[in-house]
Amino acid sequence: MFQPIPQPPVNRALRAPEGRDFWSGFAVALAGAALAFCGAWHLTSLGTVDGNTASETQLVRAFSSGGLQYADQAAPPPPPKLDAAANPGEALDRWAKQRANFQPPSWKVRVDAGATTPCPT
Amino acid sequence: MAGLFRMEDPVPNGSERPPAALGRKLTQWRPWVQAGFLGVWLAPAGRWLHGIPGCVFHCYSCPLSAFACPVGVMANYAALLPVAGEAPYLLIGVLLLIGAAGGSIVCGWACPFGFLQDLLGKITARKIGLPSWTGWVRYAVLAGLVIILPMILGYKGIPFDKQAVSICRLCPAGALEAGLPYSVQSLLAGQGWIMSGLKSGILLSFLAAALFIHRPWCRMFCPLGGLLALFNRFSLFHLRFNAPQCVECNLCRSRCSMGVKVDQAVNVSGCIRCLECTTCGAIEPSLALPRNAPPNGAQKPSI
Repeated sequence: MFQPIPQPPVNRALRAPEGRDFWSGFAVALAGAALAFCGAWHLTSLGTVDGNTASETQLVRAFSSGGLQYADQAAPPPPPKLDAAANPGEALDRWAKQRANFQPPSWKVRVDAGATTPCPT
Repeated sequence: MAGLFRMEDPVPNGSERPPAALGRKLTQWRPWVQAGFLGVWLAPAGRWLHGIPGCVFHCYSCPLSAFACPVGVMANYAALLPVAGEAPYLLIGVLLLIGAAGGSIVCGWACPFGFLQDLLGKITARKIGLPSWTGWVRYAVLAGLVIILPMILGYKGIPFDKQAVSICRLCPAGALEAGLPYSVQSLLAGQGWIMSGLKSGILLSFLAAALFIHRPWCRMFCPLGGLLALFNRFSLFHLRFNAPQCVECNLCRSRCSMGVKVDQAVNVSGCIRCLECTTCGAIEPSLALPRNAPPNGAQKPSI
């Protein structure tokens, strides 16, 4: 299976042993462990659809399940299809009322922790 | 084009040296360890720990993925940054911890996508070499596709999942692990092939390339591998050159399928820590311990 590939000669006299200090790696690993621990308990600035504050793990889960809702996606209701409506005038009035009552959401982004879109992209 | 992939100054290497016992065992164990890690990343019930970023390149949209893809999470955070200003503490922590402990060892021993490429690479014997500069493309992918582009489009108000060009839309792992299963499912349900032509083409090109180039994704494009490889220079687990053991046979460099010039330096960004080079006996896996001698010491205890 293994095929040796011709290579230039080794010059071991020029070669450093590549040994290393413990403390630099340890300090970075410790910082990583602390960040991971804090991140697991961290509450983000985003809210959830049920009014709570989203945790970082909920946000990460939302990325993979289409659980992020943007405010500009919350549009006013579309106009009714007058051809299909039994009473077009009443449908138009109802739509105009809904449109007048529509208020843009106060949030920019929020997390739907229960979203289950298998592949958001 | 032929000059681009030519190996430099070839001379015969001494292949008569018998492999070192530890290196031989590691080489034998590695495929089994890689296969064992599939049980971690491909959780049978799927999506258990999607709130936690993993440390390997594995699509979070795969029906069986246990953890979230760190690259996808990074790109999502970049797109969200102009809107919400959130920082990925958990992701940074996981990557710092794994990187500082073992550098890119997860690439060589745990990554399912790397394992797949290893298996594909066994089909054909002859391989095309790549020039060392191709390793820098990984950092261009990391900076451009994973961080800057999602951030710019996010600033323009386009959510990550609506962005026409993103790492997830171009990723061959996503195509293989999510696009393919969902397309097959859709096809069986009579709804046609849902994966885009571009993504299908990327998947086919990648599978073909993996037959003739060893780990093409890892060597040229993987942003996660590039990131973890930055830790190779100071991670606790590392490779050490034991000069008295070296008989200048060049077996170490011959064994490296990633094109690393192991005879010059081994803890470099192109290394995936597969430990194949330890077969020569002069390259030893080692763990930095507080009682060890200073970095320039010639002899250190190895594991």
